[in-house]
Amino acid sequence: MRGILRIAAGHLFTAFRERVTLFWFLIFPVFLLAILTLIFGNMGQEGEISFAISVVNLESNTAGPVDFAAIVEGVFEETGTASEEGKEPLFTLTHPSDGEDLEEFLAREKEALRLGHRAAVIVIPEGFNQELLERMMRSSSSPSGNGALTIYINEGSAASEMATSIIEQILAGVDREILTHIGHFQEEEAIPSETLWVGSGGEELSYVDFLLPGVILMGFFVNGLFGVPGSILFARDRRVLRRYWVTPLTVPHYLAGFSLGHLTLCLIQFVLILVLGRFAFGATIKFAEPMPILFLLLGAVTFLAFGFFIASVAKTANAGMASANILNMPMMFLGGLFFPIGGLPTFLKVIVYANPVTYLAEGLRMSLGVQGETFSIPLTLAVPVGWIAFCIFVASRRLSWDVK
Amino acid sequence: MEEENGLMMRVTGLKKYYGEVHAVDGISFAIPRASVFTILGPNGAGKTTTLEILEGIREPDAGEIEVFGMQLKKVTRAVKERMGVLLQDGNFEPYLKVKEVVRLFASFFMKALPTEEVLTRVALQEKTNAYVKTLSGGQLQRLAVGVALVNDPDLIFLDEPTTGLDPQARRNMWSIITDLRDQGKTIILTTHYMEEAEALSDRVCIMDYGTIIAKGSPRELTSRLGQETIIEFNTSSLSTDDLAQLESYGKTAREDGEIVTVETENLVHTMEQMLAWSREREIPLTNMTVRQPNLEDVFLLLTGRRLRE
Ligand SMILES: Nc1ncnc2c1ncn2[C@@H]1O[C@H](COP(=O)(O)OP(=O)(O)OP(=O)(O)O)[C@@H](O)[C@H]1O
Ligand SMILES: [Mg+2]
Repeated sequence: MRGILRIAAGHLFTAFRERVTLFWFLIFPVFLLAILTLIFGNMGQEGEISFAISVVNLESNTAGPVDFAAIVEGVFEETGTASEEGKEPLFTLTHPSDGEDLEEFLAREKEALRLGHRAAVIVIPEGFNQELLERMMRSSSSPSGNGALTIYINEGSAASEMATSIIEQILAGVDREILTHIGHFQEEEAIPSETLWVGSGGEELSYVDFLLPGVILMGFFVNGLFGVPGSILFARDRRVLRRYWVTPLTVPHYLAGFSLGHLTLCLIQFVLILVLGRFAFGATIKFAEPMPILFLLLGAVTFLAFGFFIASVAKTANAGMASANILNMPMMFLGGLFFPIGGLPTFLKVIVYANPVTYLAEGLRMSLGVQGETFSIPLTLAVPVGWIAFCIFVASRRLSWDVK
Repeated sequence: MEEENGLMMRVTGLKKYYGEVHAVDGISFAIPRASVFTILGPNGAGKTTTLEILEGIREPDAGEIEVFGMQLKKVTRAVKERMGVLLQDGNFEPYLKVKEVVRLFASFFMKALPTEEVLTRVALQEKTNAYVKTLSGGQLQRLAVGVALVNDPDLIFLDEPTTGLDPQARRNMWSIITDLRDQGKTIILTTHYMEEAEALSDRVCIMDYGTIIAKGSPRELTSRLGQETIIEFNTSSLSTDDLAQLESYGKTAREDGEIVTVETENLVHTMEQMLAWSREREIPLTNMTVRQPNLEDVFLLLTGRRLRE
C-alpha cells in the first residue's frame, strides 16, 4: 500500500519536473481553450452585416380571426430580404427543409446557435394566436407565460447580443402595428416574449461553456494516450521498470500507483483549466454534480486504459508514441469534442459511433446541460466502460516490465 | 534445514538457451552463508543470465534452485523480501531525487532501513537532494548499491558493482562488500576483474561460454599452477625459433603477439637464462615483471585466452 502511494507520488513529481510533460499537461489545453474560444466564440461577429437567424413557427391553430403567428413570421421574412439591390439583408433566415419535422428543425437550429452558427433562434410556440387573442380580450396585464414568443440567443457571442436588440425593436414595431390596428394600444399588451440562452433552465451559457467540457476531456485524452505509454515505455526502455521487478512490488501494485498518480494529475489539470475558463473566459458551467463528476472520472479512466493498452502492445517508447498518434486522429476528431459530428460520410460515422470520445463528450455535455439529449445516459456510460474493460484485459495479459 | 547447515543457496544443472546461444549451459554450485561468492568471466560468459535467473527476472530452461532452505520453482515475494539486487543495467527515474528513490524502494518492502543510513553506507549523503539525472556514473552505481541494501537483505546480488568506478571508488565498494560479509550477509558477485575476485571472494567460479570451468577459493585455484613464479615481458617481434628457445626454459605463452609469460619453479636460474637469451638475440625485455600466479593465469591456463582484451 505504501508502495502504491510512493509510485503515485513519484509519477506526480516526475510529471511536474519534466518540462515536456508539463507542456502537454497544462500549457497545451489552456492554449487550445484560448484559441478555440477566440476563433469560434467570435464567429459571425467580425465584418458581418447580416445576422443568421431562424424563425420556427410552431403554431398550428390558424383558425382564429387573426393569424398573429403568421404576421410575426412574415415580418421577420421581410427583414430577411434585401431592401435595396446590393445591400445585405438585416437577417439571413434559415428555413426547415421540405417536410422536415419542426421540432427536429428547432433542435438542429439550437445546436447551430450553440456552435455560433446562428445569432438567434426565434420560436413562435403552439398556442401563440390564442394567447394573444385572450390578452386583447381581457386586457389583462398579467402574462400567463404560456404561449410567449421565445428568443434563443448565444450569450457569449456579440452577434447574438446585437441581433437580440434588433429583434426586440422589430417586435416592438409589430406590437404597435397590431394593437393600433385593433384599436387600443397599451404597453402591457405587447407580444409577450422571453429571451432564453441556449441550454436549459435559462442559465447563462456561452460558447466557452460549450467548449470547456471538450477541452477538459481533450486534456485527459492527451494525458492518457500520450502521457501514460510515454512514461511507462520510457521507464521500461531505460531499464527502470525491471529494477522494480526484483522487489516484492507486483505489476498490479505498480499500475495502481501509476493510475493514482495519473488521476491526481488529471484532477490538477481539470482544476487549472476550470479556473482559467471561469476567470479569464467567463465560463459559468458547474461541474460539482454527481453526473458530470462521474463522466469526468470515466473520461480520465478510459484514456488511462487506452494508455495502458498502447503501452502493452508497443515494443519501444517510439513505437508507443507512433501508435498513440495513429489512435489520436480518429479518436480526437471523430468524437465531437469541438465540432458537430452530423453530416459526416457513413464510413466515418462508424468510427464516430465506436469512439468512446463521442459518448464521453455527449454524456458530459448532457449532464452539464449544455446540450440536449442525443444518446441515452446508460449508453454513454456503457460504451466507455466497454472500452476500459477491453484495454485492461489486453494490458493485463501483454504488459511487460522488460524490454523484449 | 540447508539454511541451518550453513548453505544459503544451491544451484544444480542450471540452463538457459537463446536459440543457438547457450548463455548458461548446465552449471551447478553451492554458496555458504556469510560469504562472498564470485562469478568471474569475460563478456558474454553468462554471468548476468545466471544472476537474473536467480533473481527471478528470467526463467531457466532447466535446473534446480534452492535458497533459504527452500526448493524454488519461482522466486516468490517472500524471497524477494530478503534479497537485494544490483542489476547490471538497472536504472532509476531521472527526475526523482536520490532520497526519493531510496524511499520509493523502501516502501516496497515490509522492513526497510532509514534513508540516511542507506545513503551513509554508500557515501551519498551530500547527494540526498540531487536529481538522479545529475549523478555521475559512479554516484549512480553507488545509489544502485544503496537501493540494493534498502531492505537489509540476507542475500545480495551484485552484478559488476565496480564497473565504471575509479580506483578510489572501487576500493570503497570493496570495503562496503567486505563489511556486508562481516555482518553475515551472503553476497553473489560478478566481475571480470581478477584482482577484485581475488581480494573479495571466499569462493570463485570461473565461467566461460555458459559453463563453469573452475571453482574454489582464490588460493585453491591459483595453487593449480603449482609453486611456479611467472616472468612476464612485452615484445612485438619473436621468431618461432626465439619462442622455441624460451619454451626450453619454462612453460611459455604469448598473447596478442605482445605479452609473453614464462613459468618457472627456479626463478634465479631461469632469469639468468633469459637475460643471456635477450643479449644474444638482441630482444629487449620491455616491462619485465616477476609475480605470483593469479586468477588471470588460471583463466589463461584453462582457456588459452585472457579475461580482458
Ligand atoms: N535476451 C537474450 N536474447 C538472446 N541472447 C541473449 C539474451 N541475453 C543474453 N544473451 C546472450 O547470452 C550470452 C550471455 O550473456 P550475459 O549477459 O549473461 O553475459 P555476461 O557474462 O553477463 O557478460 P558481460 O560481462 O558483458 O556482462 C551472450 O552471448 C548474450 O549475447
Ligand atoms: Mg553481465
